[in-house]
Amino acid sequence: MGMGTYIAKRVVHSIGIIFVILFLNFIIINSAPGNPALFMGGEVALSSPEYVKALMHRWGLDKPLYERTLIYFEHLLKGDLGYSYRYMEPVSSLILERLPVTLLLTLSSSLLAFVIGVWLGLASARRVKSKTDAAITTTMFVFWSTPSFWLGIMLMILFGVRLRLFPVSGMVSVSHLGGGIWYYLDILYHAVLPVTTLTLIMTPLYYKLTRDTAIQQLREDYVTTFRAVGLGEGYLFRKYVFRNSILPPITAFGLQLGYAVAGAVLVENVFGWPGMGRLLLDSILMRDYPVIMGIYVFVSVTVILSILLVDILYALLDPRIKYG
Amino acid sequence: MSSRLESLKLRFKLVARSLLAIFRDPYGAAGSAIFLFMVAIALLAPYLPIPDPGSIDFPKFLPPSHSHPFGTDYLGRDVLSRVIWGARVSLSVGLIAAGISAAIGILLGAIAGFFGGLTDNVVNSLIEIFLMMPTFFLVLVIVAIFGSNLFYIMIVIGLTTWPVTARIMRAQTMSVKEMLFVEAARALGADSKRLLFLHVMPISIYPAIANTILSIGNAIMIEAALSYLGLGDPNLPSWGRIIYEGQPYVTSAWWIALFPGVFLVLTVLSINFIGDAFMRLYSPGLREA
Repeated sequence: MGMGTYIAKRVVHSIGIIFVILFLNFIIINSAPGNPALFMGGEVALSSPEYVKALMHRWGLDKPLYERTLIYFEHLLKGDLGYSYRYMEPVSSLILERLPVTLLLTLSSSLLAFVIGVWLGLASARRVKSKTDAAITTTMFVFWSTPSFWLGIMLMILFGVRLRLFPVSGMVSVSHLGGGIWYYLDILYHAVLPVTTLTLIMTPLYYKLTRDTAIQQLREDYVTTFRAVGLGEGYLFRKYVFRNSILPPITAFGLQLGYAVAGAVLVENVFGWPGMGRLLLDSILMRDYPVIMGIYVFVSVTVILSILLVDILYALLDPRIKYG
Repeated sequence: MSSRLESLKLRFKLVARSLLAIFRDPYGAAGSAIFLFMVAIALLAPYLPIPDPGSIDFPKFLPPSHSHPFGTDYLGRDVLSRVIWGARVSLSVGLIAAGISAAIGILLGAIAGFFGGLTDNVVNSLIEIFLMMPTFFLVLVIVAIFGSNLFYIMIVIGLTTWPVTARIMRAQTMSVKEMLFVEAARALGADSKRLLFLHVMPISIYPAIANTILSIGNAIMIEAALSYLGLGDPNLPSWGRIIYEGQPYVTSAWWIALFPGVFLVLTVLSINFIGDAFMRLYSPGLREA
């Protein structure tokens, strides 16, 4: 099978999975307690039978189930995730509004975690079974076992409340709302603690993958040969072990995105960061179901698309991959 | 009959030896000690000389002192007592959710790997779909919509986290079923059910067990995160819930959020230590890693 066929197959596969998830979403909405129109329309619907009727019609709730499924998908394909009665805005625009600030957290911490994790993993593998290796491994175990929100609270108490080095909450100070370079620098300053929290939580994943792969690489014949001909350890690691150990962490990068967004949701709530996580929590508290479901659909689809993207990149990067 | 007894004895010896091997591993020993301590305080909570976790008889926001080692919270409840009672909630969520997840994952994985064909195709697609779904969000949405009591939370976590175990079990079963001794048992007239449950499963189950141990920690983390978002069972003091209740007061009363978190980290860490030791001892490929 050629690469084109492989990619086409993966795309079709991902679309299939997205449909299953959307269908599951439909089932969850429809099996929730109470009339789905009241459910989608919220409190406004309680006092207005006409509104309920209009909603029932708009969402096709007066039609049989199979037709409703089709209508639901039709709305979704148009990008219509529903309407939030709390914000009086379409869910999709609410999400897109908050997306950049959440991405700032997730992407920057994912990248940092990737770089630090791979670097530490290689450093550990080079000194395998030494005291340094044991110390790094144990530290990574601790961070792997730490809930992001609690670590965030602890960093906030230590660096925000006690040492007063960083702001405790929010994304930008009132005094810097004016815009310009100080506005962006202030956002970065506020992002230090949340990004540090997320980075610490995600580093162990990359560390463990890199260390395990690198240790396996060290048992390969080529390493023995290179050592026998007197190639320096540093050169051997930089040039060969590194290149062979970086592929598993790259695959993991796509897969962990869901984990990263989940972490961001929790950490945003610790630091009052006005992103999607904050929106999600507010919607849960206000029972704003369209927003909750919309965020769920959005996150699922994004995660699946990024896994697909990483798979395709991987196929392009690694000449050994078998398309199967 | 006596041969069955012999084989039972042998199996018992194997289990005893594997437990000893875990205790001899430094990570395994440390993990087991911490985990047993947590189980002990959870079991002994009603008999320990601590105040009732719901009693509001004490002054509010007392910092840690001799009479209240972990201080008191915003209602004047003893934080130490709440943390000890919280161990019961967090550990039972972990154990029951991981149990449900293991039962589904091991059974489906073994059946798919052993029988292959259409069964395997169906199970494998299920595994792939669930693996790609952001589990935490699914649990969050279901709990947010259908209500948050502990029973729901355990079941939902169990029902959404089985695919990793299933995938491992499937791969193991597929490789073990090709071994010669299985062929020999088949030649002796063993039927599929006997082959799978008596011959293949006992050999192939170890990596799935290691993964199940790790998923106890994972379930505890998911429950803690739900509770932190205010979606935990409001009637029970889980560690996540105590942190959630302490969050508004972190600037003045840091001890409310600190101590339950320390217990949470220690518990999950101990489980990860044990799981990792188990994995290294029983998954040959990773032995030196």
